Amino acid sequence: MATQRVLPQSKESLLQNYNKRLKDDIRSILDNFTEIVKTAKIEDETQVSRATQAEQDHYEMHVRAANIVRAGESLMKLVSDLKQFLILNDFPSVNDAISLQNQQLRSLQDECDKKLTSLRDEIAIDLFELEEEYYSSSYSQWDSTDLPLCEAYRRRDSWASPGSSCSSTQGDREDVEGPPSQETNSQHHLNGHGTSSIEKP
Amino acid sequence: MANERLRALEEVEKEIATILQCAGNIVLELSKDKHNASLLDRQLVQFQGSVNRVESELSGQIRYLTQVATGQPHEGSTYSARKDCQMALNRAEYAKVKLGELGRTCEVMLEQQPPDW
Repeated sequence: MATQRVLPQSKESLLQNYNKRLKDDIRSILDNFTEIVKTAKIEDETQVSRATQAEQDHYEMHVRAANIVRAGESLMKLVSDLKQFLILNDFPSVNDAISLQNQQLRSLQDECDKKLTSLRDEIAIDLFELEEEYYSSSYSQWDSTDLPLCEAYRRRDSWASPGSSCSSTQGDREDVEGPPSQETNSQHHLNGHGTSSIEKP
Repeated sequence: MANERLRALEEVEKEIATILQCAGNIVLELSKDKHNASLLDRQLVQFQGSVNRVESELSGQIRYLTQVATGQPHEGSTYSARKDCQMALNRAEYAKVKLGELGRTCEVMLEQQPPDW
């Protein structure tokens, strides 16, 4: 037994209207078809002449056939209205569709971010090695106050241990903060908010 | 689940067309001098079966809608997930552009540098 639901009057009356239309159209098809088959029976004795009776039967069959077609079209319209009502008001299926779509989009986003993160890690490793190679070669134009990334990491690791006697001058601290902030900027840039590429001083 | 119900309604539409087709075939057969009784029986059985199926299916759909319809508009959306996914794709595209620029820069530098023999 279906539980009683308190529907708004418009929805309830709409569904009752659908039921009524369905019953009326099915009844119309069956009755008109039955009457056509009955009219097809040839009777020997008629009140009017055979020609008149035949003409009357012919016209009646036309009208009943048109009624059957009208009822069929009305049923098609009812099916169309039901489809529309289903799409708009079938909340369980709408919720399922929304959750499925959300799940697919989130999995795509996670996959994309995972690949970007692995790419970032690989490029960071290569960059570290490249900078080490570049700053230790004769082509680099850096001065003693400008620390390469590898040296900055080494100094930061030594600062991490307490009581270390690493450089504490303001100039060195600024230089040390330079390359790490570039790396931080690169992480921010991955989010698509950066406006300029990383430039070496 | 929604697709199944919509597909069921599309099948109902085909059944309605079958009803009209069978009714027309029966009347056409009755108009002949000699009727084919087996054809008439087959068409009549199909006609009655289609009418019953249409009525039962549409009644079932209306009964289901009576149970689930609330009269309120649905307020769910996939906007946030779609936006997050779009931003992830933008991030990937941006990284691709930047790597492309880096690759082109490296190629230009390698072309300009004379070979060390």
